[in-house]
Amino acid sequence: MKMDYDIKLGVSLYSYQDNYYFHKHDLEGCIAAAAGSGATGIEVMPEAMIPEWPYISDSFVDKWNGWIERYGVEPVCLDHFSDRAMWKNKQLSDEQLFERSIWYIKAANKLGCSLIRLLHNEHIGVGISPYRLTDVKIAERLLPICAEYGVTMALECHAPTTIDDPIHEPYLEVAEKLGLPFVGLMADFSSYEYCISRADVGQVVRKGGTEKIINFIRESQREAYYKGQPFVYEEIKDRVEKMKPNEIDREFIEFHTKSTGPASYKVLKDYSSKLVYIHAKFYDIDENGQVDNMDYPKIFQALKEGGYKGYICSEFEGNRRMNDAGWVDEIDYIRKHQKLMRKCLED
Amino acid sequence: MYDEHVLTDEGCRNVWKNGKKVGYCVNLKINYYRGLPICCIDQISLEVDGEKVDPSSMILQHNGKEYPYLEILKDDFPTDVYWLFGEKLRVVVKREGGIDQGRHHVKVTLGTRRSYTPTMISVCEKELTFA
Repeated sequence: MKMDYDIKLGVSLYSYQDNYYFHKHDLEGCIAAAAGSGATGIEVMPEAMIPEWPYISDSFVDKWNGWIERYGVEPVCLDHFSDRAMWKNKQLSDEQLFERSIWYIKAANKLGCSLIRLLHNEHIGVGISPYRLTDVKIAERLLPICAEYGVTMALECHAPTTIDDPIHEPYLEVAEKLGLPFVGLMADFSSYEYCISRADVGQVVRKGGTEKIINFIRESQREAYYKGQPFVYEEIKDRVEKMKPNEIDREFIEFHTKSTGPASYKVLKDYSSKLVYIHAKFYDIDENGQVDNMDYPKIFQALKEGGYKGYICSEFEGNRRMNDAGWVDEIDYIRKHQKLMRKCLED
Repeated sequence: MYDEHVLTDEGCRNVWKNGKKVGYCVNLKINYYRGLPICCIDQISLEVDGEKVDPSSMILQHNGKEYPYLEILKDDFPTDVYWLFGEKLRVVVKREGGIDQGRHHVKVTLGTRRSYTPTMISVCEKELTFA
Protein backbone atom coordinates (compact mmCIF):
# COMPACT_ATOMS: atom_id res chain seq x y z
CA MET A 1 0.00 0.00 0.00
CA LYS A 2 1.46 3.34 -1.06
CA MET A 3 1.09 5.87 1.69
CA ASP A 4 1.26 9.60 1.26
CA TYR A 5 2.13 10.97 4.65
CA ASP A 6 4.69 13.45 5.91
CA ILE A 7 5.01 13.15 9.66
CA LYS A 8 7.54 14.97 11.80
CA LEU A 9 8.10 14.49 15.52
CA GLY A 10 8.35 17.20 18.12
CA VAL A 11 8.10 17.78 21.86
CA SER A 12 5.81 20.07 23.79
CA LEU A 13 8.15 21.67 26.32
CA TYR A 14 5.25 21.41 28.78
CA SER A 15 6.50 17.83 29.13
CA TYR A 16 9.51 19.15 31.07
CA GLN A 17 7.46 21.20 33.53
CA ASP A 18 8.98 19.76 36.70
CA ASN A 19 12.49 20.34 35.39
CA TYR A 20 11.53 23.96 34.83
CA TYR A 21 9.52 24.45 38.03
CA PHE A 22 12.32 23.08 40.20
CA HIS A 23 15.00 24.98 38.25
CA LYS A 24 16.86 21.94 36.94
CA HIS A 25 16.57 23.35 33.43
CA ASP A 26 15.72 26.73 31.99
CA LEU A 27 14.04 27.24 28.61
CA GLU A 28 17.29 26.62 26.76
CA GLY A 29 17.81 23.41 28.73
CA CYS A 30 14.31 22.21 27.80
CA ILE A 31 14.97 22.95 24.13
CA ALA A 32 18.27 21.07 24.38
CA ALA A 33 16.48 18.11 25.99
CA ALA A 34 13.89 18.04 23.19
CA ALA A 35 16.59 18.19 20.51
CA GLY A 36 18.56 15.49 22.32
CA SER A 37 15.56 13.16 22.23
CA GLY A 38 15.72 13.25 18.45
CA ALA A 39 12.77 15.60 17.98
CA THR A 40 12.93 18.20 15.23
CA GLY A 41 10.19 20.51 16.48
CA ILE A 42 9.06 22.17 19.69
CA GLU A 43 5.87 23.52 21.17
CA VAL A 44 6.04 26.22 23.81
CA MET A 45 3.60 27.35 26.47
CA PRO A 46 4.35 31.06 26.82
CA GLU A 47 2.84 31.40 30.31
CA ALA A 48 5.19 28.73 31.56
CA MET A 49 8.52 29.38 29.93
CA ILE A 50 8.65 32.89 28.49
CA PRO A 51 9.42 35.13 31.46
CA GLU A 52 8.53 38.35 29.59
CA TRP A 53 5.06 37.12 28.67
CA PRO A 54 2.76 38.73 27.54
CA TYR A 55 5.44 40.92 26.02
CA ILE A 56 8.15 39.49 23.83
CA SER A 57 11.12 41.75 23.22
CA ASP A 58 13.38 41.69 20.20
CA SER A 59 16.23 40.57 22.41
CA PHE A 60 14.18 37.56 23.54
CA VAL A 61 13.40 36.77 19.90
CA ASP A 62 17.12 36.95 19.10
CA LYS A 63 17.91 34.57 21.94
CA TRP A 64 15.11 32.24 20.84
CA ASN A 65 16.28 32.25 17.24
CA GLY A 66 19.80 31.51 18.42
CA TRP A 67 18.58 28.42 20.28
CA ILE A 68 16.48 27.32 17.31
CA GLU A 69 19.61 27.41 15.18
CA ARG A 70 21.97 25.93 17.75
CA TYR A 71 19.74 22.97 18.59
CA GLY A 72 18.50 22.45 15.06
CA VAL A 73 14.79 22.41 15.88
CA GLU A 74 11.86 24.31 14.45
CA PRO A 75 9.19 26.16 16.42
CA VAL A 76 5.89 24.43 15.72
CA CYS A 77 3.18 25.58 18.07
CA LEU A 78 2.47 28.09 20.82
CA ASP A 79 -0.24 27.34 23.41
CA HIS A 80 -3.15 29.74 23.61
CA PHE A 81 -5.14 30.08 26.83
CA SER A 82 -8.53 31.60 27.56
CA ASP A 83 -8.21 33.06 31.04
CA ARG A 84 -11.47 34.87 31.53
CA ALA A 85 -11.86 34.85 35.33
CA MET A 86 -9.39 37.64 35.95
CA TRP A 87 -11.07 39.15 38.96
CA LYS A 88 -13.15 38.03 41.90
CA ASN A 89 -16.39 39.67 40.84
CA LYS A 90 -15.82 40.31 37.19
CA GLN A 91 -14.71 38.42 34.12
CA LEU A 92 -13.15 39.55 30.87
CA SER A 93 -15.68 40.57 28.24
CA ASP A 94 -15.68 38.85 24.85
CA GLU A 95 -13.96 41.93 23.46
CA GLN A 96 -11.18 41.68 26.05
CA LEU A 97 -10.77 37.93 25.52
CA PHE A 98 -10.57 38.58 21.79
CA GLU A 99 -7.85 41.19 22.28
CA ARG A 100 -5.98 38.86 24.59
CA SER A 101 -6.12 36.08 22.02
CA ILE A 102 -4.38 38.35 19.54
CA TRP A 103 -1.35 38.36 21.87
CA TYR A 104 -0.88 34.67 21.18
CA ILE A 105 -1.23 34.99 17.41
CA LYS A 106 1.35 37.79 17.32
CA ALA A 107 3.67 35.90 19.67
CA ALA A 108 3.47 32.76 17.52
CA ASN A 109 4.37 34.81 14.49
CA LYS A 110 7.32 36.45 16.30
CA LEU A 111 8.67 33.10 17.42
CA GLY A 112 8.21 31.40 14.08
CA CYS A 113 5.31 29.10 15.03
CA SER A 114 2.72 28.57 12.32
CA LEU A 115 0.22 27.13 14.81
CA ILE A 116 -1.43 28.10 18.04
CA ARG A 117 -3.20 25.48 20.10
CA LEU A 118 -6.50 27.31 20.60
CA LEU A 119 -8.19 26.75 23.94
CA HIS A 120 -11.60 26.69 22.33
CA ASN A 121 -14.75 26.43 24.34
CA GLU A 122 -15.46 22.79 23.44
CA HIS A 123 -11.95 21.36 23.81
CA ILE A 124 -12.91 19.08 26.70
CA GLY A 125 -16.58 18.98 25.82
CA VAL A 126 -19.36 21.28 26.93
CA GLY A 127 -20.47 21.88 30.49
CA ILE A 128 -17.10 21.13 32.10
CA SER A 129 -15.29 24.50 32.03
CA PRO A 130 -16.55 26.88 34.71
CA TYR A 131 -16.03 29.81 32.31
CA ARG A 132 -16.79 30.29 28.64
CA LEU A 133 -13.53 29.92 26.76
CA THR A 134 -12.74 31.18 23.27
CA ASP A 135 -15.92 30.37 21.38
CA VAL A 136 -16.77 30.34 17.70
CA LYS A 137 -17.82 34.00 17.68
CA ILE A 138 -14.44 35.09 19.01
CA ALA A 139 -12.62 32.63 16.75
CA GLU A 140 -14.44 34.07 13.74
CA ARG A 141 -13.03 37.51 14.55
CA LEU A 142 -9.56 36.02 14.98
CA LEU A 143 -9.50 34.45 11.52
CA PRO A 144 -8.50 37.60 9.57
CA ILE A 145 -5.76 38.25 12.13
CA CYS A 146 -4.50 34.69 11.73
CA ALA A 147 -4.44 35.26 7.96
CA GLU A 148 -2.44 38.46 8.43
CA TYR A 149 0.14 36.75 10.62
CA GLY A 150 0.20 33.37 8.88
CA VAL A 151 -0.90 31.46 11.98
CA THR A 152 -3.44 28.62 12.10
CA MET A 153 -5.61 27.91 15.13
CA ALA A 154 -5.49 24.23 16.07
CA LEU A 155 -8.66 23.04 17.79
CA GLU A 156 -7.47 20.57 20.39
CA CYS A 157 -10.03 17.78 20.57
CA HIS A 158 -9.20 16.43 24.00
CA ALA A 159 -10.94 13.50 25.75
CA PRO A 160 -13.81 13.13 26.39
CA THR A 161 -14.33 14.68 22.95
CA THR A 162 -12.98 13.30 19.69
CA ILE A 163 -12.02 14.76 16.31
CA ASP A 164 -15.37 13.77 14.81
CA ASP A 165 -17.43 15.26 17.62
CA PRO A 166 -19.80 17.73 15.89
CA ILE A 167 -19.17 20.34 18.59
CA HIS A 168 -15.93 21.31 16.82
CA GLU A 169 -17.55 21.71 13.39
CA PRO A 170 -18.88 25.29 13.66
CA TYR A 171 -15.30 26.62 13.73
CA LEU A 172 -14.50 24.88 10.44
CA GLU A 173 -17.77 26.04 8.92
CA VAL A 174 -17.16 29.69 9.73
CA ALA A 175 -13.64 29.49 8.25
CA GLU A 176 -15.08 28.00 5.09
CA LYS A 177 -17.80 30.61 4.90
CA LEU A 178 -15.22 33.40 5.13
CA GLY A 179 -12.73 31.69 2.86
CA LEU A 180 -10.08 31.95 5.60
CA PRO A 181 -8.71 28.44 6.17
CA PHE A 182 -6.82 29.32 9.34
CA VAL A 183 -8.44 26.91 11.74
CA GLY A 184 -8.24 23.11 11.80
CA LEU A 185 -8.74 20.03 13.90
CA MET A 186 -6.05 18.80 16.24
CA ALA A 187 -6.13 15.28 17.66
CA ASP A 188 -5.04 14.60 21.21
CA PHE A 189 -4.18 10.99 22.01
CA SER A 190 -6.16 11.24 25.25
CA SER A 191 -9.12 10.20 23.07
CA TYR A 192 -7.39 6.85 22.42
CA GLU A 193 -6.87 5.61 25.96
CA TYR A 194 -8.14 2.05 26.31
CA CYS A 195 -7.45 1.53 30.00
CA ILE A 196 -6.41 3.30 33.19
CA SER A 197 -2.71 4.16 33.11
CA ARG A 198 -0.36 2.73 35.72
CA ALA A 199 0.50 6.33 36.53
CA ASP A 200 -3.10 6.89 37.63
CA VAL A 201 -3.21 3.61 39.54
CA GLY A 202 -0.16 4.65 41.55
CA GLN A 203 -1.52 8.09 42.32
CA VAL A 204 -4.95 6.97 43.48
CA VAL A 205 -3.41 4.24 45.65
CA ARG A 206 -1.16 6.82 47.31
CA LYS A 207 -4.26 8.90 47.99
CA GLY A 208 -5.88 5.95 49.77
CA GLY A 209 -7.47 4.00 46.93
CA THR A 210 -7.45 0.20 46.84
CA GLU A 211 -4.79 -1.17 44.51
CA LYS A 212 -6.54 -4.52 43.99
CA ILE A 213 -9.78 -2.86 42.90
CA ILE A 214 -8.22 -0.32 40.53
CA ASN A 215 -5.97 -2.95 38.97
CA PHE A 216 -8.94 -5.27 38.53
CA ILE A 217 -10.75 -2.56 36.57
CA ARG A 218 -7.62 -1.79 34.55
CA GLU A 219 -7.17 -5.47 33.68
CA SER A 220 -10.83 -5.76 32.68
CA GLN A 221 -10.43 -2.77 30.38
CA ARG A 222 -7.31 -4.29 28.83
CA GLU A 223 -8.99 -7.62 28.34
CA ALA A 224 -11.95 -6.00 26.61
CA TYR A 225 -9.64 -4.00 24.35
CA TYR A 226 -7.53 -6.97 23.29
CA LYS A 227 -10.67 -9.01 22.61
CA GLY A 228 -11.92 -6.17 20.44
CA GLN A 229 -14.94 -5.62 22.66
CA PRO A 230 -16.28 -2.49 24.31
CA PHE A 231 -15.63 -2.14 28.02
CA VAL A 232 -18.90 -1.94 29.94
CA TYR A 233 -18.42 -1.14 33.60
CA GLU A 234 -21.87 -2.47 34.50
CA GLU A 235 -20.65 -5.95 33.60
CA ILE A 236 -17.98 -5.98 36.32
CA LYS A 237 -19.71 -3.68 38.80
CA ASP A 238 -20.95 -6.51 41.05
CA ARG A 239 -17.45 -7.94 41.36
CA VAL A 240 -16.05 -4.50 42.17
CA GLU A 241 -18.73 -3.95 44.83
CA LYS A 242 -17.81 -7.26 46.48
CA MET A 243 -14.30 -5.88 46.97
CA LYS A 244 -15.83 -3.02 49.01
CA PRO A 245 -14.51 0.14 47.35
CA ASN A 246 -13.97 3.15 49.62
CA GLU A 247 -14.88 6.76 48.81
CA ILE A 248 -11.59 7.44 47.06
CA ASP A 249 -12.08 4.35 44.88
CA ARG A 250 -15.62 5.39 44.05
CA GLU A 251 -14.65 8.87 42.95
CA PHE A 252 -11.87 7.46 40.78
CA ILE A 253 -14.11 4.75 39.30
CA GLU A 254 -16.79 7.31 38.44
CA PHE A 255 -14.31 9.30 36.39
CA HIS A 256 -12.35 6.45 34.80
CA THR A 257 -15.03 4.00 33.71
CA LYS A 258 -17.19 6.18 31.48
CA SER A 259 -15.33 5.34 28.30
CA THR A 260 -16.00 2.03 26.58
CA GLY A 261 -12.67 2.09 24.76
CA PRO A 262 -10.49 4.18 22.49
CA ALA A 263 -11.98 6.45 19.85
CA SER A 264 -12.23 4.88 16.40
CA TYR A 265 -8.97 4.29 14.48
CA LYS A 266 -11.03 4.22 11.29
CA VAL A 267 -12.28 7.75 11.95
CA LEU A 268 -8.73 8.83 12.76
CA LYS A 269 -7.60 7.46 9.41
CA ASP A 270 -10.45 9.17 7.57
CA TYR A 271 -9.71 12.51 9.25
CA SER A 272 -5.89 12.28 9.07
CA SER A 273 -5.40 14.29 5.92
CA LYS A 274 -7.28 17.27 7.34
CA LEU A 275 -5.75 17.37 10.82
CA VAL A 276 -3.43 20.33 11.35
CA TYR A 277 -1.64 19.15 14.49
CA ILE A 278 -1.41 16.30 16.99
CA HIS A 279 -0.58 15.93 20.68
CA ALA A 280 0.89 12.52 21.44
CA LYS A 281 -0.19 12.46 25.04
CA PHE A 282 1.14 9.81 27.42
CA TYR A 283 1.50 9.14 31.13
CA ASP A 284 3.69 6.06 31.41
CA ILE A 285 5.82 3.74 29.31
CA ASP A 286 5.98 0.02 30.04
CA GLU A 287 8.88 -2.45 30.01
CA ASN A 288 8.40 -3.04 26.28
CA GLY A 289 8.76 0.62 25.45
CA GLN A 290 5.04 0.98 24.75
CA VAL A 291 2.70 3.60 26.18
CA ASP A 292 0.89 1.57 28.81
CA ASN A 293 -2.69 2.60 28.03
CA MET A 294 -2.76 3.64 24.36
CA ASP A 295 -2.12 1.56 21.26
CA TYR A 296 0.54 3.67 19.55
CA PRO A 297 1.20 1.19 16.69
CA LYS A 298 -2.51 1.27 15.76
CA ILE A 299 -2.77 5.05 16.09
CA PHE A 300 0.29 5.60 13.91
CA GLN A 301 -0.91 3.09 11.36
CA ALA A 302 -4.15 5.06 11.02
CA LEU A 303 -2.29 8.37 10.68
CA LYS A 304 0.09 7.00 8.05
CA GLU A 305 -2.60 5.29 6.01
CA GLY A 306 -4.78 8.37 6.24
CA GLY A 307 -1.96 10.59 4.96
CA TYR A 308 -1.36 12.90 7.92
CA LYS A 309 1.02 15.71 7.09
CA GLY A 310 2.40 17.64 10.00
CA TYR A 311 3.87 17.43 13.45
CA ILE A 312 3.12 14.99 16.24
CA CYS A 313 4.44 16.37 19.51
CA SER A 314 5.11 14.41 22.70
CA GLU A 315 2.98 15.64 25.57
CA PHE A 316 4.01 13.96 28.80
CA GLU A 317 1.50 14.24 31.61
CA GLY A 318 2.91 11.54 33.86
CA ASN A 319 4.77 14.15 35.90
CA ARG A 320 1.66 15.48 37.60
CA ARG A 321 0.42 11.93 38.22
CA MET A 322 3.65 10.64 39.72
CA ASN A 323 5.54 13.56 41.26
CA ASP A 324 3.74 13.20 44.59
CA ALA A 325 5.86 10.04 44.99
CA GLY A 326 9.16 11.68 44.07
CA TRP A 327 11.16 12.95 41.14
CA VAL A 328 9.83 11.99 37.71
CA ASP A 329 12.52 11.71 35.04
CA GLU A 330 10.73 13.62 32.30
CA ILE A 331 13.80 13.75 30.09
CA ASP A 332 14.08 9.96 30.04
CA TYR A 333 10.35 9.52 29.47
CA ILE A 334 10.49 11.79 26.43
CA ARG A 335 13.58 10.03 25.11
CA LYS A 336 11.74 6.69 25.26
CA HIS A 337 8.59 8.22 23.81
CA GLN A 338 10.37 9.71 20.82
CA LYS A 339 12.06 6.36 20.23
CA LEU A 340 8.68 4.62 20.28
CA MET A 341 7.19 7.13 17.85
CA ARG A 342 10.16 6.80 15.46
CA LYS A 343 9.68 3.04 15.50
CA CYS A 344 5.96 3.43 14.82
CA LEU A 345 6.82 5.60 11.82
CA GLU A 346 9.37 3.13 10.46
CA ASP A 347 7.25 -0.02 10.86
CA MET B 1 0.57 18.33 41.68
CA TYR B 2 2.64 21.12 43.26
CA ASP B 3 0.61 21.51 46.45
CA GLU B 4 3.39 20.49 48.79
CA HIS B 5 5.80 22.87 47.06
CA VAL B 6 3.66 26.00 47.31
CA LEU B 7 5.40 27.02 50.50
CA THR B 8 9.13 26.99 49.85
CA ASP B 9 11.81 26.71 52.51
CA GLU B 10 13.85 29.36 50.73
CA GLY B 11 14.40 32.91 51.91
CA CYS B 12 12.31 32.86 55.10
CA ARG B 13 13.62 35.66 57.22
CA ASN B 14 12.98 38.88 59.04
CA VAL B 15 12.75 42.09 57.07
CA TRP B 16 14.82 44.92 58.55
CA LYS B 17 14.92 48.68 58.35
CA ASN B 18 17.46 50.92 60.08
CA GLY B 19 18.68 48.08 62.28
CA LYS B 20 15.17 47.11 63.38
CA LYS B 21 12.89 44.25 62.45
CA VAL B 22 9.80 45.56 60.67
CA GLY B 23 8.36 42.34 59.33
CA TYR B 24 9.10 38.90 57.92
CA CYS B 25 8.66 37.06 54.68
CA VAL B 26 8.00 33.68 53.09
CA ASN B 27 8.27 32.64 49.45
CA LEU B 28 5.54 30.85 47.51
CA LYS B 29 5.48 29.00 44.21
CA ILE B 30 2.46 28.61 41.97
CA ASN B 31 0.07 25.63 42.25
CA TYR B 32 -0.41 25.18 38.50
CA TYR B 33 1.43 23.98 35.41
CA ARG B 34 1.95 27.50 34.07
CA GLY B 35 2.18 31.07 35.27
CA LEU B 36 -0.99 33.10 35.82
CA PRO B 37 -1.79 36.80 35.96
CA ILE B 38 -1.33 37.92 39.56
CA CYS B 39 -4.95 39.09 39.55
CA CYS B 40 -5.97 35.41 39.16
CA ILE B 41 -4.87 34.82 42.74
CA ASP B 42 -8.14 34.19 44.54
CA GLN B 43 -6.63 34.09 48.00
CA ILE B 44 -3.43 33.85 49.96
CA SER B 45 -4.11 33.12 53.63
CA LEU B 46 -1.23 32.78 56.03
CA GLU B 47 -1.16 31.28 59.48
CA VAL B 48 1.97 31.43 61.57
CA ASP B 49 2.15 29.32 64.74
CA GLY B 50 -1.62 28.95 64.58
CA GLU B 51 -2.28 32.66 64.33
CA LYS B 52 -3.96 34.13 61.28
CA VAL B 53 -1.99 36.87 59.55
CA ASP B 54 -3.90 40.10 58.86
CA PRO B 55 -4.31 40.28 55.04
CA SER B 56 -3.90 44.05 55.10
CA SER B 57 -0.37 43.62 56.47
CA MET B 58 0.74 41.50 53.50
CA ILE B 59 2.74 42.82 50.57
CA LEU B 60 3.61 40.76 47.51
CA GLN B 61 6.94 41.16 45.76
CA HIS B 62 7.57 39.51 42.42
CA ASN B 63 9.78 40.06 39.41
CA GLY B 64 11.09 43.36 40.73
CA LYS B 65 7.72 44.84 41.65
CA GLU B 66 5.68 45.24 44.82
CA TYR B 67 1.91 45.06 45.37
CA PRO B 68 -0.13 45.34 48.56
CA TYR B 69 -2.04 42.05 48.80
CA LEU B 70 -5.46 43.67 49.04
CA GLU B 71 -4.75 45.63 45.83
CA ILE B 72 -4.39 42.55 43.66
CA LEU B 73 -7.79 41.29 44.82
CA LYS B 74 -9.53 44.34 43.42
CA ASP B 75 -11.51 44.12 40.20
CA ASP B 76 -9.71 45.74 37.27
CA PHE B 77 -6.22 45.09 38.63
CA PRO B 78 -3.95 44.93 35.52
CA THR B 79 -4.09 41.55 33.77
CA ASP B 80 -0.65 41.63 32.17
CA VAL B 81 1.33 41.15 35.39
CA TYR B 82 2.25 37.51 35.69
CA TRP B 83 3.28 35.24 38.53
CA LEU B 84 5.94 33.37 36.63
CA PHE B 85 5.89 29.58 36.56
CA GLY B 86 8.42 28.17 39.00
CA GLU B 87 9.39 31.61 40.33
CA LYS B 88 9.00 32.73 43.89
CA LEU B 89 6.34 35.18 44.97
CA ARG B 90 7.63 36.84 48.12
CA VAL B 91 5.01 37.56 50.74
CA VAL B 92 6.16 40.19 53.21
CA VAL B 93 4.19 40.56 56.42
CA LYS B 94 4.56 44.00 57.99
CA ARG B 95 4.95 43.53 61.73
CA GLU B 96 6.88 45.59 64.19
CA GLY B 97 9.51 43.39 65.81
CA GLY B 98 9.31 40.85 62.97
CA ILE B 99 9.34 37.20 63.97
CA ASP B 100 11.56 35.36 66.46
CA GLN B 101 14.54 33.85 64.73
CA GLY B 102 14.17 30.09 64.52
CA ARG B 103 11.55 27.51 63.67
CA HIS B 104 7.90 28.36 63.17
CA HIS B 105 4.88 26.48 61.92
CA VAL B 106 3.58 28.11 58.74
CA LYS B 107 0.37 27.27 56.92
CA VAL B 108 -0.59 28.84 53.62
CA THR B 109 -3.81 28.50 51.67
CA LEU B 110 -3.40 29.50 48.05
CA GLY B 111 -6.34 29.76 45.65
CA THR B 112 -5.87 30.47 41.95
CA ARG B 113 -8.50 30.95 39.27
CA ARG B 114 -7.80 29.33 35.92
CA SER B 115 -9.53 29.00 32.58
CA TYR B 116 -11.09 25.57 32.16
CA THR B 117 -11.00 24.05 35.63
CA PRO B 118 -12.45 25.33 38.91
CA THR B 119 -10.43 27.49 41.32
CA MET B 120 -7.61 25.40 42.72
CA ILE B 121 -7.14 25.69 46.46
CA SER B 122 -3.87 24.33 47.81
CA VAL B 123 -3.05 24.07 51.48
CA CYS B 124 0.60 23.69 52.42
CA GLU B 125 1.98 23.47 55.96
CA LYS B 126 5.61 23.36 56.99
CA GLU B 127 8.01 23.93 59.84
CA LEU B 128 10.26 26.69 58.56
CA THR B 129 13.35 28.31 59.98
CA PHE B 130 13.31 32.08 59.84
CA ALA B 131 16.64 33.91 59.65
